[in-house]
Amino acid sequence: MHPIAVVVNGTRNERSVEPRLLLSDFLRHDLGLTGTHVGCEHGVCGACTVLMDGQPVRSCLLFAVQTDGHELQTVEGLAAGDQLHPLQQAFHETHALQCGFCTPGFLMTLVPFLKDHPNPTEPEIREALCGNLCRCTGYANIVKAVERYAEGLSR
Amino acid sequence: MIVEGTYALPGSPEAIWDLLMDPEVLAKAMPGTRRLDRVAPNRYEGTMGVGIGPITAAEFDLVIEVTDIQRPLSYTMQIDSKGRFGFSRGTARVELTPDGAGSSMRYRADLQVGGKIAGLGQRLLDSVSKMLLRQGLEALHKELTARLT
Amino acid sequence: MTGRYFGESVLRLEDAKLLTGRARFVDDVSLPGMLHVAFLRSDEAHARLNGIDVSAARARTGVVAVYTADDLGDYWQPGPLLVPPPPIPGLVFNTATQGPLARDKVRCAGEPLAMVVAESRYVAEDALEDIVVDLEPLPAVTDLEQALMDGAPLVHDQFGTNLAAWVHQTKGDYQAARAKAHRVITRRFAYDRGIAAALENRGIVAHWDSGAQELAMWDTTQAPIPIRNGMAEFLGLRESQVRVVAPFIGGGFGPKIMMFYPEEVLVPWAAMRLGRPVKWIEDRRENFFATTQERGQIHHAELAVAKDGTILGVKDRFLHDTGAYDPYGLTVPINSQCTLLGPYVVPAYDSEFTAVFTNKPIVTPVRGAGRQHGVFVMERLLDFAARELGMDRVEIRRRNYIQPDQFPYDHEILFQDFRPLVYDSGDYPAALDKAVELIGYRKFIKDEQPRLRREGKHPGIGIVSYIEGTGIGPYEGARVTVEPSGTVRLSTGVGTQGQGHFTTFAQIVAEVLGVEVGSVEVSTGDTREFHWGTGTFASRGAVVAGSACHAAAMKVREKILALAAPLVGVAESDLVVAGGAVHSRGDPAKAISLGDLARKANPLRGAVAPGTEPGLEATAYFGPDRGNAASGVHAVIVEVDQETAAVEIKRYVVVHDCGTVINPLVVEAQVQGGVAHGIGNAFYEQLHFDRNGQLLNASFMDYLLPTALDVPTVEMDHVVSPSPLNPLGTKGVGEAGAIPTGAAFAQAIDDALAHTGIEITEIPLSPGRLFELIDHATGKST
Repeated sequence: MHPIAVVVNGTRNERSVEPRLLLSDFLRHDLGLTGTHVGCEHGVCGACTVLMDGQPVRSCLLFAVQTDGHELQTVEGLAAGDQLHPLQQAFHETHALQCGFCTPGFLMTLVPFLKDHPNPTEPEIREALCGNLCRCTGYANIVKAVERYAEGLSR
Repeated sequence: MIVEGTYALPGSPEAIWDLLMDPEVLAKAMPGTRRLDRVAPNRYEGTMGVGIGPITAAEFDLVIEVTDIQRPLSYTMQIDSKGRFGFSRGTARVELTPDGAGSSMRYRADLQVGGKIAGLGQRLLDSVSKMLLRQGLEALHKELTARLT
Repeated sequence: MTGRYFGESVLRLEDAKLLTGRARFVDDVSLPGMLHVAFLRSDEAHARLNGIDVSAARARTGVVAVYTADDLGDYWQPGPLLVPPPPIPGLVFNTATQGPLARDKVRCAGEPLAMVVAESRYVAEDALEDIVVDLEPLPAVTDLEQALMDGAPLVHDQFGTNLAAWVHQTKGDYQAARAKAHRVITRRFAYDRGIAAALENRGIVAHWDSGAQELAMWDTTQAPIPIRNGMAEFLGLRESQVRVVAPFIGGGFGPKIMMFYPEEVLVPWAAMRLGRPVKWIEDRRENFFATTQERGQIHHAELAVAKDGTILGVKDRFLHDTGAYDPYGLTVPINSQCTLLGPYVVPAYDSEFTAVFTNKPIVTPVRGAGRQHGVFVMERLLDFAARELGMDRVEIRRRNYIQPDQFPYDHEILFQDFRPLVYDSGDYPAALDKAVELIGYRKFIKDEQPRLRREGKHPGIGIVSYIEGTGIGPYEGARVTVEPSGTVRLSTGVGTQGQGHFTTFAQIVAEVLGVEVGSVEVSTGDTREFHWGTGTFASRGAVVAGSACHAAAMKVREKILALAAPLVGVAESDLVVAGGAVHSRGDPAKAISLGDLARKANPLRGAVAPGTEPGLEATAYFGPDRGNAASGVHAVIVEVDQETAAVEIKRYVVVHDCGTVINPLVVEAQVQGGVAHGIGNAFYEQLHFDRNGQLLNASFMDYLLPTALDVPTVEMDHVVSPSPLNPLGTKGVGEAGAIPTGAAFAQAIDDALAHTGIEITEIPLSPGRLFELIDHATGKST
């Protein structure tokens, strides 16, 4: 067992973990943050995407011990209480989610992307999204959500 | 999966035949062998550890039956390996012909692969098996050379 | 029915929970003392199980129990036959269902051999390596044609054959039709397997509360009520002792309506034995084997046409891959058989299929459920006929359509719901016209295509037509309750996997009761809340459950009027139900809120009048007479790179008719998602089994799902042909996008590469496969 200290959504967590414990399992079961979902456990679907020090990472491909001393943000850290983050609001307004399972992964992929590209073109948006799989929506409304957000239309 | 080719070995067929049947020599020729015993005149059982793609250091059990023996020129091996990674089994035919002072070994293995390694390791199976085979033949060559001199 | 909500693009009420990660999915359920399960699965596709030694696994620290088939005792039984075969004369059906753990024989890779229950999934998986299994490999059958030959290895020895079923349906006289045909188009078509690939894998949590003697299950099922009923029976419990909750589900698409999977049957049993909650969550690799899949068929089909392109008759002989067992009956191949007829007048039809057992995972419906095969065959036959007759592809379709004044139209054969295949309504020419207009078909053929060709490009257009049978019975139910707070509670049995039921059902009820849509709280998929119904499948949720919601709301509305009339002091006909209250039409100030009315309807003193019920609550059921026929037209423009076989989708158009639309935003999203699924099935997704039944691409690295770069934004238009079969006039739309996509692609690619003489008669077309086909075609023509 290894002691780790990791800040998640602004809260410091100290735990003792097995070296082989996946970050996705650590977040979901040890910390009870079940908003991050597991779709494939081999790094392709992107549903498990979280931010580590502001960069998107696949939590299914990281071990919890690798996050020792780092800062993580999960989907639970986006909204401010009952107030949705504008990107979440944009997803709602354009019906960019159906079953919602892949949605946290998309949101966490988009947050850093939009910080670096506040005005993306449609091809740029689609390329940014191509590492996240969705089986329900066919992506069209997700693209619309990003455009809506970028235009500042969602609050 | 078919693996076939020819390889030059030091020593005539008569000189190397018994060495090819020696479990200690075989163990050197198969990379990752942890244990290989001759449990009956033509039957070998052992344990190996190999990695392919995302499945690393998988341990598996290996059984080889040698049949169709035509000393010192040819034999067939029935290979059966099984482990957490899945399984691989099939037949390999080995033929030796004298080639100057040495031998030319011709081999052809037809292997069925299943389980995780078949489902996850496809893109690597071909190249990794070729690599393991090359490593094995080089090790075999080295071992035979050492024993013959 | 239109109004404030019905027919409006109401934003979804369930979004906030999902967006903030607070929605509960099955794997989010955590109970004190919970144990975790891992299954040992067969690597062999066909083998005798000679022995299994779990002693080392049992001895591992952290392992609480390990079960094999022998440990189940009397609990071991083959699963139920979920859908018996329809009453078609001469039908042959060999029932073979899977036991929860393999006994004697393994029939497909992935069959569960043992169940390990441990303190964590990690430890449970460690213990799998401790188990020693003696599997004696047998030759496997994977090829449909070879499986039926003499001497083929048998999947089920007791039948002496790999024939799982044989069905022959006919109408009219095909031989006569063929005799007078100007042309007979004959081809072989092949459609191959894919997985549903919902982003959420399956999972079950079970908790036996021995104090209350109650079992609670959380299950990623599309059918919580049948699961409850079945599990109660299997476990020797009363139905009322079992509660099944299908919480938020991360996509269904069909395989989650397969019921009584081995894991579903074993996890609750283990929970009861061990006295601790038990959880099993499928991982993605397991999903490729352990969750059902669909689509392998081989057709030899023939179309007899007159000189002007009129269809005289169709004959089809096909093989259907049912996998190692056939628990779901013949739903998929019967859908293929029926959907082939499409929107066309087909005077003579002779269709025969053989379902075949193979050593591959079980086949049960996946989005489209066999309809795509029928559509592919018919649309391709029409394309080849058009080419031979020198006719336009759009014209040949138009010429053969069932006309708007010919409904109800009886095709005279039996559909999957055991009822005659009768189409209720539709306007196929109108949809075709709209699609032709929207994609700019004429202009493309006349101007754009020649121009691009001169530039050395290879553009092609495909336009196909289809029918989707939706909204079948048997029935669904709903209960509407107005609470004293004014909130309206709606409970229904169907589960939800992303279709927006929390919103669309609320719209229906809100419309009837004149309340804000946000004040309708919907409960779905919880058998404690509602326990009569079947499930979400076959594009029937909105039609059947929606109609039940409507019926229940109407009953409550009657109660509201009956109760309010004397209180407000006017006749019922003078009352208006709106704004969460009921008021006098002549004097709006004379009003009472629905909440107050509900309170008054449940007095602590005084009598509830005989013949009435307390409160403002009603339960209603809806069972349609038969399924209805949604329809549509897909059109696609592609550009093919002949050197690399890369296909770029330039535009994709869908004109669809799902009758009355409850929520356009939801409907369009279903079509868009369906098309994405269809593009995947048509062009990227294929399960590669080797001849030993080994799956060679058991991960998303090698089983390719379309990404945002591969799916265009679909341009849509609608035709509305309300269904006379339900009070809402609505039809299903969940599978529509996925059904004709393969046919549309095939036509477009043939068109793009017309100069090579290529004929696409197989789906899926991976980029690699298309490369081979182009090579073959160009080799032929040089």
